[in-house]
Amino acid sequence: MGSSRIWDVVVVGAGGAGLTAARRARESGADVLVLNKGLVGRTGATITSGGGISVSGNVLAGLGLDVDPTDTEQDFAEDTIRSGRFISDQSLVQSMVEDVGAELGALMAMGVKPRVSKRAPGHSSGRGVHVTGPDMQKAVTTGATRAGVLFREDFLSAGLLRDAEGAVVGVTGLDRRTGEVAEIDARAVVIATGGTTSNWRLRTAPEELAGEGHAMALEAGAALIESEMLQFLPCCVIAPEIWKGIQFPWTIGPQAGVRAWLLNRYGERFLQRWDPVNIELATRDVVAAGSAAEVAAGRGSPNGGVYLSWAHLPRDIIDNMPLWSKSLSRDGRYQGFDFTPLIERIKAGYAIEVAPAAHFSLGGIHIDVDGDTGVPGLYACGEAAGGVHGSNRLSGNAGAQMLVQGARAGLAAARASRRNGLPAPAVNRAELQERVRAPMEREAGIAPLEVAERLGALTDSALSPVRDGTRIDAAIVEIGDIRRSVLPQLAVRQRDPGYNRDWSTAIECRAAVDVLEAALLGARARGHSLGAHQRTDSLDEAARPAPFHGLVRATGGALVHETRAVAFPVLAP
Amino acid sequence: MTHIRLRLNRDGSEEIARFDLPDDPAESGISGTWEGASVSTALQYLQRKVDPSLAYVLSCRRGLCDLCAVRIDGKVETACTTPLRDGMLIEPTRASLQLRDTVVELSLVRRHRVA
Ligand SMILES: Cc1cc2nc3c(=O)[nH]c(=O)nc-3n(C[C@H](O)[C@H](O)[C@H](O)COP(=O)(O)OP(=O)(O)OC[C@H]3O[C@@H](n4cnc5c(N)ncnc54)[C@H](O)[C@@H]3O)c2cc1C
Ligand code: FES
Repeated sequence: MGSSRIWDVVVVGAGGAGLTAARRARESGADVLVLNKGLVGRTGATITSGGGISVSGNVLAGLGLDVDPTDTEQDFAEDTIRSGRFISDQSLVQSMVEDVGAELGALMAMGVKPRVSKRAPGHSSGRGVHVTGPDMQKAVTTGATRAGVLFREDFLSAGLLRDAEGAVVGVTGLDRRTGEVAEIDARAVVIATGGTTSNWRLRTAPEELAGEGHAMALEAGAALIESEMLQFLPCCVIAPEIWKGIQFPWTIGPQAGVRAWLLNRYGERFLQRWDPVNIELATRDVVAAGSAAEVAAGRGSPNGGVYLSWAHLPRDIIDNMPLWSKSLSRDGRYQGFDFTPLIERIKAGYAIEVAPAAHFSLGGIHIDVDGDTGVPGLYACGEAAGGVHGSNRLSGNAGAQMLVQGARAGLAAARASRRNGLPAPAVNRAELQERVRAPMEREAGIAPLEVAERLGALTDSALSPVRDGTRIDAAIVEIGDIRRSVLPQLAVRQRDPGYNRDWSTAIECRAAVDVLEAALLGARARGHSLGAHQRTDSLDEAARPAPFHGLVRATGGALVHETRAVAFPVLAP
Repeated sequence: MTHIRLRLNRDGSEEIARFDLPDDPAESGISGTWEGASVSTALQYLQRKVDPSLAYVLSCRRGLCDLCAVRIDGKVETACTTPLRDGMLIEPTRASLQLRDTVVELSLVRRHRVA
């Protein structure tokens, strides 16, 4: 099955992180194959990004950009660590702030023209640049193809091939076009599959990010870090369906600094209880948690959100918003949509029903500064990797993470491939083949879509922006039940091998069960509210433990959570 | 009852099929009316509940990636940003690029592909 070729480096995922890794590995002499679930350059979060990339002012000035040159890498690192509430892996923060300038410089040398950011929410300085999502995705795609990287598209990676010693020697996956279950042999593998946000029903993020990369890494012996930490973007549309999850109200409201009010169904500005000074202009974790808490307490709007209202503002301000907001053009267009009807509703004095949407995976695969997972031959980078943001992420820091970690992981994987010589034979080929094929070959069973629906209900209940122990415990029981009694029975409803969506969904669900169980174990272990993890039953502040990391590993067939103290080489609390 | 027509193509055989959408979209977790939903939402619904073999593609859901492009009543549009209309005809953007149903070859890296 598959080709007999052995690649130096195989990269899984073709977003900004994966294609940067692929380009760097190729430039350092490796032959590189990128596997992507969908079409390269048309899938993943990178293309949807607002385009922020944080870089300290002194470094940007060195690249010839007109910015505040007194801002330093140390300032950038400290803002990042404080925003993450001191659970960031500070070595990852340090490499991000130090290396991002060089990576941005490399993009500029390839013709990318960044726009300097005037405001960078959460940062102490107007730090960083913008490159629109589509421009960024195009630049990294062109960079990788020019360097001589090759691709396999519509390839859903599902498992890692391992030798008798446990080293990673390739990838098994499903060619979605043909239905072939293929093996790709490699000396080193880089996971760059992005976040796990598709497992939430209301999300800003694209369709295909369920967490197979995370599950593959777990199974191979890597750890996941801070899996419970998920960033929600507040004030996203919940109805009508066509605009669901779009952050347009946020971008023309609080994000633009406009004093729109968030109200519950009693008309109360409930965020006054959370942050009496900043209210709606509080950080996104606070706005998200405050909004979700109103809904949980039964004070929400009919569609399960809260009201964002501009009605107290004079029409002059509302009519002139296009003058001041980058997101609001005169013709009402935002990304692919015409939002004129929504703007007309605002002008007519209506509020917009909004809710926090799953936006970004703060946690992920545990790596060191070289993207090394600790499993021989296995690297990870970008949103798939956790630890750098701690419990909250500053604007533009995902852009910086993606470029820096992508480059580091690509170079390290290329180095490892030179060391690794001819890979030893994989010992789990047959096992992975059988597992990937199982839902296709089973005569009858449970439709994958039903599991996806159960998992959606589970994240809504237990892993929303506000959490409590009772729901978390119930969800742990539920996911154990899905793992034991449902996964072994997944079966497609029709057997055409090509473009079989049930088959892909079955593979995604299996991974989702792992990443969501890890998130629940992490959530249970954090009894205190911290950043994106807000508990309505948060324990007594006097008993708050010192900052700790939560790590989940697959040990003896079960997922096990352990804690580890945080080190503070850059900044202590 | 809202309905759409789809040009289906599987293993070389082609037909235009009519699909009726249920009166209450809320039962399938869809907010509001079908007219407030996108063409992509309808395709997703049909694959999930009516015809498991229906092929469609979807990624960003916001008109940025063009992956979901289809021909709607003759005009090429992104399905995720186009509101559903009763009776609309949905076809692949170009017959010569058709892979299955509405899915067409839109690769940007075709010359750099193995397999
Ligand atoms: C709406 C939105 C706006 C954002 N705005 C900003 C911003 O302004 N600033 C900022 O810093 N960050 C922003 N972010 C976050 C940022 O865009 C992402 O964190 C970043 O782009 C992630 O890049 P990546 O390469 O790690 O992953 P992605 O770009 O998500 O790429 C992952 C790729 O892996 C592929 N893949 C997944 N699973 C598999 C599999 N099993 N097999 C093969 N391939 C697979 C996917 O198809 C995808 O192409 C935003 C995110 C969203 C959703
Ligand atoms: S899914 Fe990206 S444009 Fe429609």
